[in-house]
Amino acid sequence: MNIQDNYLKNKKNIFFSQNKDIQNHREKLLNVFENDRFDKKNNESLKNINLKNFIDFEYKYLIPDETSVINNNQENSYSIVSVNGHCSSFKDDKIEITKILDEDYNDFSKNDTIDNNDHFVNLNSLFLNSGFKIVIKKNNNIKIKISNIITDDNLTIFQKNNYICEEGSSLNLIEEYENKNNSTSNILNVIKLEKNSQLNHFLIQDNSPNHNLIITSHSSCKKNSIYTQKVYNFSEGYVRNFHYSELVEINSEADLQGIFFLKDDNTSNNKTFVKHLAENCKSNQVYKGILNDHSKATYFSNTHVDQVAQKTEGYQLSKGILLSDNASYFSKPELKIHADDVKCSHGSTIGPIDENAIFYLRSRGMSKIAATKILISSFINEELGSIDNEQMSEIIQKKLVRYLSKVK
Amino acid sequence: MNSETLNTLDSYSKNKYKYGFVTEIDDEKPKKGLNENTIKFISQKKNEPEWMLDWRLKAYSKWKKMQEPKWANLSFPEIDYQDIYYYSAPKGFEKKPKDLSEVDPKLIETYNKLGIPLEEQKVLAGVAVDVVFDSVSVATTYKGELEKLGIIFCSIGEAIQKHPDLIKKYLGSVIPPGDHSFSALNSAVFTDGSFVYIPEGVQCPMELSTYFRINAENTGQFERTLIIADKGSYVSYLEGCTAPKRDDNQLHAANVELIALEDAEIKYSTVQNWYPGDEDGKGGIYNFVTKRGLCAGKNSKISWTQVETGSAITWKYPSCILKGDNSIGEFYSVAITNNFQQADTGTKMTHIGRNTKSKIISKGISLGHSQNTYRGEVSFLRKADKARNYTQCDSLLVGNQCGAHTVPYIDSKNNTAVIEHEASTSKINEDQLYYCRQRGLSHEEAVSLIVNGFCKQVLQELPMEFAVEAQKLVSISLEGSVG
Repeated sequence: MNIQDNYLKNKKNIFFSQNKDIQNHREKLLNVFENDRFDKKNNESLKNINLKNFIDFEYKYLIPDETSVINNNQENSYSIVSVNGHCSSFKDDKIEITKILDEDYNDFSKNDTIDNNDHFVNLNSLFLNSGFKIVIKKNNNIKIKISNIITDDNLTIFQKNNYICEEGSSLNLIEEYENKNNSTSNILNVIKLEKNSQLNHFLIQDNSPNHNLIITSHSSCKKNSIYTQKVYNFSEGYVRNFHYSELVEINSEADLQGIFFLKDDNTSNNKTFVKHLAENCKSNQVYKGILNDHSKATYFSNTHVDQVAQKTEGYQLSKGILLSDNASYFSKPELKIHADDVKCSHGSTIGPIDENAIFYLRSRGMSKIAATKILISSFINEELGSIDNEQMSEIIQKKLVRYLSKVK
Repeated sequence: MNSETLNTLDSYSKNKYKYGFVTEIDDEKPKKGLNENTIKFISQKKNEPEWMLDWRLKAYSKWKKMQEPKWANLSFPEIDYQDIYYYSAPKGFEKKPKDLSEVDPKLIETYNKLGIPLEEQKVLAGVAVDVVFDSVSVATTYKGELEKLGIIFCSIGEAIQKHPDLIKKYLGSVIPPGDHSFSALNSAVFTDGSFVYIPEGVQCPMELSTYFRINAENTGQFERTLIIADKGSYVSYLEGCTAPKRDDNQLHAANVELIALEDAEIKYSTVQNWYPGDEDGKGGIYNFVTKRGLCAGKNSKISWTQVETGSAITWKYPSCILKGDNSIGEFYSVAITNNFQQADTGTKMTHIGRNTKSKIISKGISLGHSQNTYRGEVSFLRKADKARNYTQCDSLLVGNQCGAHTVPYIDSKNNTAVIEHEASTSKINEDQLYYCRQRGLSHEEAVSLIVNGFCKQVLQELPMEFAVEAQKLVSISLEGSVG
């Protein structure tokens, strides 16, 4: 079924279908889809995607029976289970979890940082059927772990989450996406960091081959706030990681990092975009990928420095290792700079594993496979080493071992 | 310097030059606008054979269906293709003069004014100059000497008459007319340009050079250059561009095709100094150039070096298709933009053959209100085993109104190929500036010195005589915008 039919059929079940403004906005989006049919040729971000899954799909959504669980087992530490994108409300003196409201939708649809041509974000706005909002209250230091569970096969989940870190708060957020059924999740995270706040955001993605995950995030950082994002993509299904960050006030920082491990016919599309809109901000974008078999990946990174954003430091790094003849990697690290007192750079490398290094290890009696595995581990060690959460580190090590066991 | 050379130069310098800067020569033009009649007119004027006209008309029919490429980070008013003259040849040039004394002295004066005094040409002996004034070749020197070696160096119009086999075989083989709208346009209406053929095993003893000029107002120049280096040969080709000051925007859409067969090497150097428009961004040349080289044979090499200081708009991507095994592509570029200039330039290295190598060094300097973009694509296809690329692009920003952008596209489909890309953007180092000032240089001199140092990696790739000119050009380009 195409997008228009799906929408007309399920119009009533979608969030905010009563709100006139939102309705109008959606009608406009429908028109966009009418006119612009996912033109792969003129839209690089659609490279390698099997579009059929997203243009021609069967809309199906179930409101979960079981309410999600929020545990507050340790002090300042919460674990949340979100079922089909739903999360029950919760409130204490540190955090507040609610459903998303009309104004949260509007708040986002006006934002122009995200490319208006991003069809997946538009799809999300069109079919929005779940999501929640988490507010971290002033001056609290919180840890949250969110497990995303999908109950049935063939669900299409369009989810929008809002995270707000109030002044002086600090949040350590771990999100797990481990789904074994053939569903499609299209998730948009809107993250706001107020003055002096900090957010460490980990995303662990490990889905089965037929599960599609499209995750887009948009963060904005106010004065002295720091946003750090680390994406670990072990998925066997398609994953799209598009992350946008805006540094709107001085001394803020954004750090967007990711590692992806691909094999078989898998595809992954990645994008990071940092917009420097104020003085003295720092950004860092680092993505590393290992590609085996017939896998394909793209990585677009962008640093945009506005005219007023003097004293900017913006760095980008992209590294890819191709383990097989048939793997391919496309990267496009972009710099757009309109201020003169800046330090910006980018680096990008793609290649095989260093033969000399393999030779060195083999000459010390190691088998070729063992040598390859050691070198892959060392390639990403820097990223893994920086995880200060022991439990997380263990989980990721396990997944890495699983990936490496398939490397021949 | 042999006596023949000296004689030729002497005969040049005896001419007197007493006329104004903008040469007032009656132009012979077809009506404004582009249609089949214009193309037929051009073809007829150039006395072309039937097959050439067909070729042009085919390209034109393709162009009609095409749209301008939109990827570049440029903004300019839409080009009205019907408001341009597509052919302008100074009257009386249909019969070619045998030597320079027969040439209208006004033309020679223009070259003189543009800073290529004949005295300098004397020093630059060893350079055969094929001067293109608007659309017709004025004079070709050193022809005899080149002919002895079997080298063909003439205007493309002449080549169409005299060497139709080579033209039929190679014209459009690297840049197909249907590649994009500017290449189709050029294929339809090109008027002049150079043709070079270096026979097997010949090392061209001198640097071949063509000075292109735009003179008549509202006349787009559509040159077509075709250089073929046969097996084991070597040629170094220089192209320099300047244009007199005009208010109307002038369109320039050249196509340059290079073909290097087995073991051949082509070195192509450009110093480009088209009129960039005045301080308010008024006027200036729109430059949409397609330059592409094909390393067709094994062990062949193509090297592009460019110094870009001119044009209101520069849209230029000298590329290499590395088809032969072990072939090498190189790209060295300095692009300086000032005032309201916009440049979107870079390269494209397509690795097809095994063991192919490419190197890209790009230096961008933005001043004033200008926008300078590096856009480069490096791609390794499936069979490009052991291919290697190194890319370095540095940008320098002077002033806070300008922009420097870097947009590399990196695509690897081969797991033995290695690709490295690095880029940095910064302003002029305060410490370096301080050091120079302390030693008595003015601010402007210091900036000029530092910028020259920044570009050195590229400038040293230029042939000697060009390097000097280019260095001066860099300093001139910075004038008035520093401090």
